[in-house]
Amino acid sequence: MAEKKKLSTAEILAMARGKAAEASAAKPAGESPSPESAAPASELPAASAEPDSAAAVEKKPAPKPAAKGGARPSVAEMMAMARAQGGAKSAAPAEKPPTEKKPVEKPAAKPAAVKPAAEKSAPAKSGGPKDTASILAAARGAKPGPMTKAEAAAAATSPPAKPKAVAPPMPTKPDYAKPSPKPVAKAVSADESRRGFLHVMLGSFLGIGMTSLASVSALWTLGFARFMFPNILTEPPSRFKAGPKEGFSPGTVEEKFKAQYGVWVVNGDYNGQQQIYALKTVCTHLGCTPNWLEAEQKFKCPCHGSGFYKDGINFEGPAPRPLERYAIRIADDGQVEIDRSRTFQEELGQWADPASFIPATA
Amino acid sequence: MAGQTSDFPAMHFPALLAAGGLIDQATFLSGVKGFLTIYYLGLAITNAVAAFLLWHHWHRPKAALVWTIVATVFGGILAPMAGSGDPYWTPRMPEAIVSFLNSWLSGQVGAIVYTIGSVVFLSVLYLGRDFFVRPMVAWTGLNLALLAMGLSMVNQNFWQVVSKGDNIPIVGLMFLLGFFTWLATYRAVINDKRIAEGLPPLEKLDDEKVLVWPDLVYTELVCMLALTAFLLVWGILIQAPLEQPASSVKTPNPSKAPWYFLGLQEMLVYFDPWMAGVVAPSLIIVGLMAIPYLDFNKKGMGYYTINERKFAYLNFQFGFLVLWVTLIVMGTVLRGPNWNFFGPFEPWDSHKVEALKNVDLSEYFWIGLLNRGLPKAPTGSGFFVELGYILLRESPGFILMGIYLFVVPPALAIGTTLFRNMYLKMGFLRYMLMTNLLLMMAILPIKMALRWSFNLKYIIHIDEWFLNF
Repeated sequence: MAEKKKLSTAEILAMARGKAAEASAAKPAGESPSPESAAPASELPAASAEPDSAAAVEKKPAPKPAAKGGARPSVAEMMAMARAQGGAKSAAPAEKPPTEKKPVEKPAAKPAAVKPAAEKSAPAKSGGPKDTASILAAARGAKPGPMTKAEAAAAATSPPAKPKAVAPPMPTKPDYAKPSPKPVAKAVSADESRRGFLHVMLGSFLGIGMTSLASVSALWTLGFARFMFPNILTEPPSRFKAGPKEGFSPGTVEEKFKAQYGVWVVNGDYNGQQQIYALKTVCTHLGCTPNWLEAEQKFKCPCHGSGFYKDGINFEGPAPRPLERYAIRIADDGQVEIDRSRTFQEELGQWADPASFIPATA
Repeated sequence: MAGQTSDFPAMHFPALLAAGGLIDQATFLSGVKGFLTIYYLGLAITNAVAAFLLWHHWHRPKAALVWTIVATVFGGILAPMAGSGDPYWTPRMPEAIVSFLNSWLSGQVGAIVYTIGSVVFLSVLYLGRDFFVRPMVAWTGLNLALLAMGLSMVNQNFWQVVSKGDNIPIVGLMFLLGFFTWLATYRAVINDKRIAEGLPPLEKLDDEKVLVWPDLVYTELVCMLALTAFLLVWGILIQAPLEQPASSVKTPNPSKAPWYFLGLQEMLVYFDPWMAGVVAPSLIIVGLMAIPYLDFNKKGMGYYTINERKFAYLNFQFGFLVLWVTLIVMGTVLRGPNWNFFGPFEPWDSHKVEALKNVDLSEYFWIGLLNRGLPKAPTGSGFFVELGYILLRESPGFILMGIYLFVVPPALAIGTTLFRNMYLKMGFLRYMLMTNLLLMMAILPIKMALRWSFNLKYIIHIDEWFLNF
């Protein structure tokens, strides 16, 4: 068996043809010896070929796929099957050609068993070289079996009527798929439409599923929205007291509110006017926190190098506008109070607003 | 050195963590001598392997001898010298070079020198590519670069920069990128020669089909395993560059973006955040996507070549190597506290003063040139009056940008053969689109140069609507 795997397709086809020829030669020899076929029969030692192919059939596990109820066989299996058929054919006539008895008892050899019958119906035609396509087709099991080239030609001239693909009858539409009668008029009573709504929402498993999905999603959304309003805010209050005005001596930048409130309280000069103002510690470029450099008397941002004068005006780096001010005032108790909920922007002229500074004396 | 101390890889010397800045050179060297010895030994082994391959595989005994000597110098002389840990014996960068680099790569001058220098350096490599891609020349260059690296690492300031956990990938990137650029250029040079001789490119000779499965997938599997192993080792050896707990009021100084965004961060220095952070990156992506629709050169598909695609090649390398990679290196090595420019061996002094006073184009024009104040709408005027005044104030910038984007392209088409051919092949719309994308790319170096030379802040500066350019 091992060397069989090495055979090329051409060789296998040649072998199949040879075996079919043997079969057709052997068959007439046993059935009705006609003069034409008797001559090749005597030439071909049919008897010597028989045991070989018969043994091949018995040993062969290949035609299994056929037994598996229509699983498509691989090419190798098809070839094996073709070989098996050839063997069966040559074996069958030798035993007892006309009987219905299968040459091999295995159910696997079913296609092979069909063959003799098919051949019996037209024994006269079987002779001459086989058509390659028909051999392969026979192996695939779609067509009756290898036929002669003459047969193939005949088949080509008058193709057998193919079984028409009959479309199975459409299943009747279920109720829910039928086009519902159009709402002809809006005369549907409120009661009916309400029932219709309920029917859509809860009338089927799909409806129930979608409805519950929607409700759960809505609940989730609501729950998520609730997160936006926490019970406790740990942020520092927007207003805070920064001590008495006298705590900010002229020319100083008070940094002690930076960590908690993000504010520099500066007593400085703006446009020739001494003021106390609260600068927001956020760079106007990209929002980093600048540092106050006492030695250079400037605010310098570490991210992109923006620099601001003590009054908050930008002068170097990419910051497009000055630092912002928070609202600042003297509270009723005399302390400086800073309100971080209001900001004042210089470029909008808001630093002139008296709420943005406390006048101071130099 | 405030703010930089915690970034030392703790593996080398925990003592430095406490020292808070520059320490005694002998103490420092005793910390790094192990690493430096391994470094030089690695160089020696690499060169020995190269010499062996040359002798055994490529049958070039003379070259093999040269690299054997180099390997001996690295392994037999430099490695033990570095291993001594003695400030006198440890091989280091000559003081002349250190002070030269420090003075020329520092401050405003440094920015200009660095940028022009890297462009000139890359241009020289490009123009002399026939010479520089020769394996022996490239190998020499690699050895010199690695030697310079080893000599520089003895300097504490340099060491602090390159050994920082964040920056190790960038050091790797420089060498990896050098290798891959060399590889591509090497093959392109060979192909260009072959094409000039009428031969097919190398890639066409070896056109055999390779299967995805198993060839490619197996290769990928092996790469995946190797990379995973490499990352594991990296993760074990080098500590994550963690910093102090986040605080909204304390920004590390300097504050650096992840290394792959350092180019963007550098861009942010010269442009409004909206422009540099949103518009320009989108333009980069859109421009890259537009290339297939703009490119009419059908040559160079599936093989390396430079001569057949010079325009595309130069544009890409300019955009990638100059405008992206050198900016990453600049942001890593040369940008220090307060985002000032520091030489590679210069101490990071956060109080270094750089006199900068940035001026808008409108200020240059109205105050400097016409000697009058900026046009300003009378207080309380309506929206349209204010709009008119703003447009008038920024008119110089608008006119300049208009000329730049809409007059320069036709002028190029008229004045140069290269662009005229493009115009004829591409048609008006495609030509304008391509030139505008090119000009937008070119405006980054232009703006950088203007900032460094004229302290120009914005060409168009409309604070009122956050529209700055």
